[in-house]
Amino acid sequence: MLTAEQNAELTRVGPGTPMGELLRRYWYPVAFTRQLEEFPVKRVRLLGENWALYKTPDGSYGVVEEHCPHRRASLAYGVVEAVGLRCGYHGWLFGRDGTCLDQPAELDKTTFKDRVRARAGRAEELGGMVWVYVGPEPAPLLPRYDVYVMDGVRDFGHALLPCNWLQIMENAVDPHHVEWLHGRYFEFLGNRMGFEAPKSFQRRHVKVAFDEFDHGIIKRRLLEGHSEDDDDWAIGHPMVFPYCMRVGGAGIEQMQIRVPVDDTTTWFVLYTVHAPDGAPVMPSQAVIPDYELPWRDEHGNHIVDYVEGQDIMAWVTQGPITDRTVEHLGKSDVGIAMLRKQFKQQLAAVAAGRDPIAVVRDPAANDRIDLPCEKDKFGAGADFATQWMNLGFTRYSPQLQDLLKLHTEAAEARATAAAGG
Amino acid sequence: MAERPVAGAVGDGGGLPEDPHPLPPPTATFARDAERHLLDAPRHCPRCGAAISGPGGLVVEWWAATDRVFYCWCRSCDWTGTVVQVDRHIGHEAAE
Repeated sequence: MLTAEQNAELTRVGPGTPMGELLRRYWYPVAFTRQLEEFPVKRVRLLGENWALYKTPDGSYGVVEEHCPHRRASLAYGVVEAVGLRCGYHGWLFGRDGTCLDQPAELDKTTFKDRVRARAGRAEELGGMVWVYVGPEPAPLLPRYDVYVMDGVRDFGHALLPCNWLQIMENAVDPHHVEWLHGRYFEFLGNRMGFEAPKSFQRRHVKVAFDEFDHGIIKRRLLEGHSEDDDDWAIGHPMVFPYCMRVGGAGIEQMQIRVPVDDTTTWFVLYTVHAPDGAPVMPSQAVIPDYELPWRDEHGNHIVDYVEGQDIMAWVTQGPITDRTVEHLGKSDVGIAMLRKQFKQQLAAVAAGRDPIAVVRDPAANDRIDLPCEKDKFGAGADFATQWMNLGFTRYSPQLQDLLKLHTEAAEARATAAAGG
Repeated sequence: MAERPVAGAVGDGGGLPEDPHPLPPPTATFARDAERHLLDAPRHCPRCGAAISGPGGLVVEWWAATDRVFYCWCRSCDWTGTVVQVDRHIGHEAAE
């Protein structure tokens, strides 16, 4: 339970708010690379502000505030040029740093353009997505987390959700929900609807633990029938501060990305790489498939017969910004208390002029940032991959059959190798 | 039935500390718990005494059996710990 004041401090992400200032110390994905290749300028919204994201003919990216400083028309309807973005309304041209380079209707001798500047951020491409940084300079490095740079077959499911990002992040430090939301509730639905829910999600949690580390909080679970040597406890997986969760198992590696679009909207992206051991040949991908996850049916009810649809139901039904003054936490929610503390600590760090955690500035440490993540998930072995694909969001992927085949062939190759063949 | 405590009346004893946002209406399911949180949550760090109920820290309440546990963090000295409200002090309980 929190006071309303504390709840507001932790959930408001707009400019000038304490949390908004903290969150502006990080890079965020705002588009798929494919989208800027299809059309080189796009309107995006991040942390309660609108931006025009563009790709110049030489392949570099830029991002400026959406509304032209001249007369406020949208630069998302601008003309992309070699040096920047030109407003479609009167032709004012802005360079990648926001400098005004041209005002065609003004006299040549005027210095007016030297006194006008658009707010600009930084934009880069990594791993099939375009990322932006809209915080203070000097900008940190775009972190090269393992999933974004590893080899494998990529698959991006996503959804725009009408709720605050923090309640999604609190789910990332809430191991018990798996046993119930994806276990008992899934089984209940399966019994009613005539499908078999995955057994591996139904195991009882004996205990959970949380450890803070340089990039967030590692969560661990000891499941009934398992030992502390099993991956779920010995390795666990992390909430990656301040808006991701690294998860995976059985050759599926994933970053769950929760971009705070504004106070009550979150872009949920399942950045997934399929890289099963033993896979004969990884298919090349000219374009990475991205697809929107359906989460409401034609009656407006939540679609809850797949894992991520169940998560979305929980997050969205908590409300646009869940009211933490009337929540009732138990001891099993200790990870949530720890996450709130971590946010408060980092709010204090920014207020004191320091970098918060998970801000990367050392290029030598950014070639690839490996995060701890269990391989044998829930003790389900290779079956976890097929269960997760068939009963998770991947069922909506246009490459589902290819992915199932990839994992099946990899499992057969591993079995052959193990048999000495 | 006791009257609902008044916001801002801390110094008068028993009132609610300031909260810039309204409490749930008295008829709401959990209004009493929200009120008790505002009344009972520690307001100062047990280690250094700095205020922790506002921007100076964090107090998250959870329940364990009959205990009300306040998970506290102090921005001033970075102390983290739990404070448990106690109605009756119980010594050893023999193992069954």
